[in-house]
Amino acid sequence: MATNDIGADLLLECRSITKSYSGHVVLDAVDFSVRRGEVHALVGENGAGKSTLIKIITGATGRDSGQMVYDGTVVPMEHLRRDAEALGIAVIYQELSLIPGMTVAQNIFLGKEPLRPLTRLIDVRKLNDQARDLIERYQFPLKPGDLIDDISIAQRQLVEILKALSGKASLMIMDEPTSSLTKTEVEMLFKIIALLKSEGISVLYISHRMEEVYSLSDRVTVLRDGKLVKVLDKEEISPEEIIRLMIGHKLEEKAVQHELSPKGGNVVLEVRGLTSVGKFEDLSFDLHEGEVLGIGGLVGSGRTELVRALYGADPFDAGTIRYLGKEWVPSVRKSIEGGIGFIPEERRLQGILATQSITRNIGIPNLDRIAPRGIVSVKEEDRRAARGIELLNVKPPRPEQLVGNLSGGNQQKVVLAKWLVRDLKLIFIDEPTVGIDIGAKEEIYEHIRALSARGVSVLLVSSDLPELTRLSDRVIVLRQGRFFHEFRECVLTGEKILRAASGIREGDDE
Amino acid sequence: MSHHAVRRLILIGLMLALSALITAINPVFLSSGNLLKLLQEAAQTGIIAVGFTFVMITAGIDMSIGGVVAVTSMVCINFLHYTKVPIPVLVFLSLFVGALTGLVNGYFITKFKLPEFIVTLATRSILSGLALVIAVKDSLGFVQNVYIQNDSYLWFGTSGLFGIYRTTMAFLILGVGAQVFLKHTRTGTNIYATGANPTAARLTGIDTERTTIGVYMFSGVCASLAAVFISSRMMTAMPELGLGSEMDVIASVVIGGTAFSGGVGDVWGTMLGSLFLALIKNGILKTGISPWIQPIAIGGIIVVTVIVDVWQKKLREHLAARAKIKRLSAERGRDAA
Amino acid sequence: MNKKPIATELRLAIVLVPLMAVLTILSPRFLTLDNLTNVVWSVCFIGILSSGAIYPRITGGIDLSLGSTAALSGIVVDLFMNRMGIPWIPSIFLTVVIGSLVGLFNGFIVAKIKIPAFVVTMAAKTYLYGIALVVSQGAMLAILEPKPFILISTGRFLGLPNPIYIMVALVITSQFVLRRTAFGRQVMAVGSNEVAARLSGVDPDRVRLISYTISGGTSAVGGVILASLTQQVFAAAASGIELDVMTALVIGGTSAVGGRGSVVGALIGAIMVAFIINGLNLLNVPNLYQPIAIGTVIILALLLNEGYLVPKRRTLSRA
Repeated sequence: MATNDIGADLLLECRSITKSYSGHVVLDAVDFSVRRGEVHALVGENGAGKSTLIKIITGATGRDSGQMVYDGTVVPMEHLRRDAEALGIAVIYQELSLIPGMTVAQNIFLGKEPLRPLTRLIDVRKLNDQARDLIERYQFPLKPGDLIDDISIAQRQLVEILKALSGKASLMIMDEPTSSLTKTEVEMLFKIIALLKSEGISVLYISHRMEEVYSLSDRVTVLRDGKLVKVLDKEEISPEEIIRLMIGHKLEEKAVQHELSPKGGNVVLEVRGLTSVGKFEDLSFDLHEGEVLGIGGLVGSGRTELVRALYGADPFDAGTIRYLGKEWVPSVRKSIEGGIGFIPEERRLQGILATQSITRNIGIPNLDRIAPRGIVSVKEEDRRAARGIELLNVKPPRPEQLVGNLSGGNQQKVVLAKWLVRDLKLIFIDEPTVGIDIGAKEEIYEHIRALSARGVSVLLVSSDLPELTRLSDRVIVLRQGRFFHEFRECVLTGEKILRAASGIREGDDE
Repeated sequence: MSHHAVRRLILIGLMLALSALITAINPVFLSSGNLLKLLQEAAQTGIIAVGFTFVMITAGIDMSIGGVVAVTSMVCINFLHYTKVPIPVLVFLSLFVGALTGLVNGYFITKFKLPEFIVTLATRSILSGLALVIAVKDSLGFVQNVYIQNDSYLWFGTSGLFGIYRTTMAFLILGVGAQVFLKHTRTGTNIYATGANPTAARLTGIDTERTTIGVYMFSGVCASLAAVFISSRMMTAMPELGLGSEMDVIASVVIGGTAFSGGVGDVWGTMLGSLFLALIKNGILKTGISPWIQPIAIGGIIVVTVIVDVWQKKLREHLAARAKIKRLSAERGRDAA
Repeated sequence: MNKKPIATELRLAIVLVPLMAVLTILSPRFLTLDNLTNVVWSVCFIGILSSGAIYPRITGGIDLSLGSTAALSGIVVDLFMNRMGIPWIPSIFLTVVIGSLVGLFNGFIVAKIKIPAFVVTMAAKTYLYGIALVVSQGAMLAILEPKPFILISTGRFLGLPNPIYIMVALVITSQFVLRRTAFGRQVMAVGSNEVAARLSGVDPDRVRLISYTISGGTSAVGGVILASLTQQVFAAAASGIELDVMTALVIGGTSAVGGRGSVVGALIGAIMVAFIINGLNLLNVPNLYQPIAIGTVIILALLLNEGYLVPKRRTLSRA
């Protein structure tokens, strides 16, 4: 497509890379290339195939078919992380891969420490000197002898970069590098990327933040649903265009477009000036009876932290909450007793008891009902489990089945069932359909709608834009922990949410 | 100054204060004879503790050390009783006992992902039985108390230069070597990395399974070495030798600042820790306090040390979080301006 | 999971049958009343301790202090009865309260200060032993009085030794608590996934605190029974019993990861441990081989629990 350049200045060239996981095609004949000394951004919605492509490039996973050439070397199908490193491909990991308790210098040269010739002992002075040289060359605010534990996240990222540079990396892959940095730290990182570029090192940059992609990149590759959409050259790059390509022209599908019609009715939850330092700040909104309020925003914009605080799972620093008209200081137990439910993100880590049966999973938040005096009424427990299984069409419908053995969709149904067998007034739902097949997804949507129809208020956090637009009666978009925009009474599209989440102000929302 | 250094200074200060106190009650404490004994006592626990430190730095635990000491000493007794194997060969064979135990422990822990604690507790049980089985017995089948008469073997338990016991010298040499190994070789670095962040270690290409098996083997070898010195000093050995020494070893390592969570600690700390422990024990003896206090002191010290370490870590994290919030609000203030 | 554990317990119980058959064939003395009574003592002791020790284990912890707690309890109950002149029933009650407080203290350090359970309880094992030495003045004390106290363990009811009833009562109560109470559900939930349990309204710290308290309490009961049976108390009375209890739990299918466990399973585990020890005795295998057998059995049981040794039964992915 757009990669009809002279092969010589290409550092990495991938041709028709295909990858599928258990029959599901994640990457479909994707062409991708990175030039020498360019900053190349890779963008796409969640599930577009970005991380799979990165994993294939770094050797973390194999590819089904397609060629890959790096720096003139044909990369074999069997390609391990170690091989990728030897070629000069380095990754700055999102979850940092440094060793606490060790110094900056030790981390930079981990596994390749300079040794004294005779004794084979690590030459500590040389180690620190080499680290100092590297640090000085890039003028990073680091000291070789500092312990990793004592430096900031941004500094740790710099150590990761140096670790990659010490290995003579020619391609540096940065996966959402700015998600946990402050503004000044982001500016510093940008300077560093420019410096790397000037040294002829290519940077492959993955980010959801449009303004970063816009201001940094020489080229942008857009993926959608596992396919290459377009490669944009410098002059073609604009946040609006990237978002348009990411979302695609699926306007004929009613799925992406939704008429918002806010509900009146009683205010169930009233939030004023809620603040949790470093997470979110000064958030105020009302949630009405039977309303589905969507919370949009990028990962790290404070959405999850907000619902956790509202549910009582985490404390907050300032602000007030009123629930059903009364002053409300939430705790998990109070929330459950008060008719509030919570479906957390990361189902496996936070939602299910994998080694327990469906019955037990459904029973746990309902112990107040099935064991009012401490002794479990097995009849009541079984009744609730049966109702939950039937209500949500859990498969297989065997109450004694261990939840860990169910499919992702059915696991999430069990998590939902826990709350649906109670008298709910309000439920917080965080990313309900990640990694779930279409069928189960639709069923879960039906239940969210049914809840709302029954008068239960829903606070829905989702990165899945069609999901958010379809289900919500109203959408609030957060950006860097603060209120950014509210969509009400308009025709909402995923594109609009993404633009807001990326910080693009609309003139008017129709 | 790092908090590790502060912690160590406090420990040394505490030891000096305790020594002063004990001397005030019983001046015999300061006699060279007692001090040399104290050092030897510290060394016997300390040699085992050095290997244990390696295991704990990888976030593991080795409960089998007592069993290794028991079996090793029985192996030595057998060879001394029935054969005329040259002593260097005998020592080599005895170290092999520990290495083999460590290999088995490490194998079950890494290949089958079984919990370290229970696996090593099980091997301890097996070894303690094995020690009884192979113990030299009389015609009626009772365990026979064999006195060691081989002078070259007894050499290990005696004193040398300036009256310093050879056990103490071995401890010093082993400790210094182990510390240098930990801090100045790639393998040593791998040990820390395996304990502090195994995922990151694997990403960097470190073979964490091999490292884990290696530290359990080293721990076994250290326990075997200690068995040689202890049996040599006692000039005999019982099949129960070393069983129950686990708490002393754990106490030494914990007092020395090595954390159960892995990635933190070093041999210097453990050496200080074993000295501290020996001082407490010696002090209880020299001041005439009931010896029954000893287990209370050791158990109590472990709990208190671990609690204090957790608290000071929490405090540091709290301070760091506060500083971060401060920085954030300062930045926001600048943005607003 | 309502039916599954029963299946596991059945399977375990079925293993007992061939084990008994083999022992009976190998040694005709096995199935005699005298011999079985002998087995029963150790089963009772291990069973009583397991009925409480299972709680910390299911929550992902461990209680290694139970042997020392039991020994100390024996000494304390003797102190109350024979040196302080308190009647035997309040003495026992006070002793169990003290044992529970010991457990509560362990639980507090584990749950609130977040220190690994094995460190806390292993240290407790050591200092409790020291306290037991101090209280008993390092001596082995004989308990000859009061008679009703001695009869607790030595008496018989309907031809069976009393401790069997006590053990069965405790096992049934414990199994009931684990299977049929809100607390039991919470214990299992915390062991399975602490984070998810917390978000479903369970307070993991409280659950842990109570678990260790129960374990301390049953250890005290075990200690009292042992004192009454042997009519002597000393600081090292039950040393090493924690390994037997752990073995019984592991054989019984209690897993430190996954919030699974059954007291009945642990009891069958205890019977198996006792059979193995007794069998070795009857076959004239010297005592020395006991720890070897126990150690081997633990490792085999662990491997079995983890799904090794049985082809194609890796049911749970550990992602």
